[in-house]
Amino acid sequence: MPITFLLICVIGLGVIAWAMSRARSAHFAPVAGKLKLALPGHYGLYAAIWTVVPALLVAWLWTFISPGLVHGAILADPAAASLPAFDFERDTVLNEAFALAQNPDAFASNPIAQQLAPVIAAAQSKFGWMGAALSLIAALAGGSFGYTRVKAGFPARTRIERIVLVALLVASFVAIITTVGIIASLIFESARFFSMVSPIDFLFGTNWTPDTMASATSDMGDDLGAVPLFWGTFFIGAIIAMLVAIPFGLMSAIYLTQYASPRARSILKPMLEILAGIPTVVYGYFAALTAAPFIRDLATAIGITNASTESALAAGLVMGVMIIPFVSSMADDSIAAVPQAMRDGSLAMGATTSETIKKVLIPAALPGIVAGVMLAISRAIGETMIVYMAAGASANLSANPFERMTTVTYQIAALLTGEGSFDHPTTLSAFALGLVLFTVTLILNIIALRVVKRFREAYE
Amino acid sequence: MSNWQSPEATARLKKRYAAERRFKALGLIAIVLSMTFLAVLLFTMLKNGISGLDWAFLSGSDSTDPANAGVWSAVKGSILTMLVTLALAFPMGVLAAIYLEEFAPRSRWVDWVEVSINNLAAVPSIIFGLLGLAVFIQVMHLPRSSPLVGGMTLALMTMPVIVIAGRNAIKAVPPSIRDAALAVGASKVQTVFHHVLPLALPGILTGTIIGMARALGETAPLLMIGMRAFVSTPPGGVTDPSSVLPMQIFLWSDEVDQGFVQNTSAAIIVLLFVLIAMNGVAIYLRNKFETRW
Repeated sequence: MPITFLLICVIGLGVIAWAMSRARSAHFAPVAGKLKLALPGHYGLYAAIWTVVPALLVAWLWTFISPGLVHGAILADPAAASLPAFDFERDTVLNEAFALAQNPDAFASNPIAQQLAPVIAAAQSKFGWMGAALSLIAALAGGSFGYTRVKAGFPARTRIERIVLVALLVASFVAIITTVGIIASLIFESARFFSMVSPIDFLFGTNWTPDTMASATSDMGDDLGAVPLFWGTFFIGAIIAMLVAIPFGLMSAIYLTQYASPRARSILKPMLEILAGIPTVVYGYFAALTAAPFIRDLATAIGITNASTESALAAGLVMGVMIIPFVSSMADDSIAAVPQAMRDGSLAMGATTSETIKKVLIPAALPGIVAGVMLAISRAIGETMIVYMAAGASANLSANPFERMTTVTYQIAALLTGEGSFDHPTTLSAFALGLVLFTVTLILNIIALRVVKRFREAYE
Repeated sequence: MSNWQSPEATARLKKRYAAERRFKALGLIAIVLSMTFLAVLLFTMLKNGISGLDWAFLSGSDSTDPANAGVWSAVKGSILTMLVTLALAFPMGVLAAIYLEEFAPRSRWVDWVEVSINNLAAVPSIIFGLLGLAVFIQVMHLPRSSPLVGGMTLALMTMPVIVIAGRNAIKAVPPSIRDAALAVGASKVQTVFHHVLPLALPGILTGTIIGMARALGETAPLLMIGMRAFVSTPPGGVTDPSSVLPMQIFLWSDEVDQGFVQNTSAAIIVLLFVLIAMNGVAIYLRNKFETRW
């Protein structure tokens, strides 16, 4: 469809309707004893909406109708009589012909496709212009209707505001639609996976050797046991990364809020936040390029043989550094929420600052800090690029941080960027992994947000 | 009763002060080590990449030969993707924030909206990639690896950030402004759009820039929707196959040829420069227009 031409025409008509209605309403004589119901701009907008919206609606509907019409036109053409009868071959030829109609340089091996291409191009252009004409008629009709409504007593402002409210409502429902979309698509694809592989094999099996080329047989479940992935994710995200992020994040928050001068704080805090703003792919590259070889040399130095370049430790450490600012700002908020009176009371009793922090502030802020750590864990286990670039691909049930390890996110990315077909259970297992990841992070987030909320209310 | 000047008391006090100093030093060490990590990271990238950063690199496209490879095709892909994201996420986010803060009645539906926005802000980015793959590509059949699909996926990710920032900014506008507008006869919608929104705009823009900076550095969801193709010509429009800057970094980091180490680091410098500039603008906006009522 000549979309650009149509858009320019419709917008042009909208502007004309706006200007005409605005000019017309400017001369309305004030009705005695009544307040003015709307400003000229409201009348203009009202007519413009009536011009543009129906036209776009018609154009949008036409995109659903026209492929059927084009199809009908092709089948009516004499060249179509020689199309192969079988569905599959027929679709191949038609697809080639469509590609050829779009782009004359496209490759087409089939002579029928070459014959059909001009027919398709003609039909597409014909129905495209037909749609544009219909849409313009709708614009004119809508615009005239809107213009006739522009009268002295017409409450255009109320009408416009009703439309605005609907737009606001629709925008805020996008969030719900996204959530529902995530849940629905994950559950739908996972259901396809679980119809081929038993959930018990998947959730409790300890052997993960995915092969997207293997024939889909009934014993697929033996190769798709996700426990090593869950362990790798937990070990890297919730143990190694947190061993770095919690002490560093907590101590830097304490230093920044309790010890640093306002001037030092105003410099150090933004610098710490730079760490949070660095893209994960940069951390991943740094982990693979610098941190991983360093850790391999370290492992060799302390006597670990066959240390690999990719290791759980390298990924976990770098991920921990990435999370530091997050833990720090959550701890910062929680400590700041503790009433000043508690701090003053402790200091007045003769406790030193560090004693006050350890015995009063941290216990009082603990729920908030724990919630912050939960959010940090949920972030760490959902992190993809660092583990993709530094942790390795081999599923490994081991507690040795110098070994390669793989995670849920790594496998999702690897399975879906591979060459596997979307009907193969191995590829579909990525969605089941996604469902597990989503569920776990959702539970962590909901609990954490609830704790934070209750914690804030407790001190208010 | 013990004397506070007795030797035991003095020793005790000394111990407590030593503990105090140790604790303070620990805090300082935590910050200094984090800063050192940042410095090492930046230094490594600068050392490896700065010599590869020239006009040919900035204006060239991807190539199998590291000496000829440049970032322009990826930068253009990033720009197109970000335009799509901004065009979708900004209006949606602002409108949703206005609705939730100014118009929403207390109802179960609105509670659900709030819960989903707060949760979406914390959902792992790769899950948005799965959504994009399942809905935009498999159901709606939009072109794979195009800035259009990438931008739509990132918009879903960025919108909750904008909504949360927008709500805070709108909340900060004092009620007296609304009361004054309503008192001279403005309707609720006029009050919000003529008075509340302009005053909240700096805060909303700050949040938007921060959300866009996050989207610009995102790789994982784009990996899911197939934006990892080798693209040697800059994309002409939002439906052409394209790459984005973080994806280019990822693809180059995988290359065996040593020459790509320099390219990867140089591309990282470009990306970090843009991100720091964006965050700088956000901080400037916040400081310049922040009003304390």
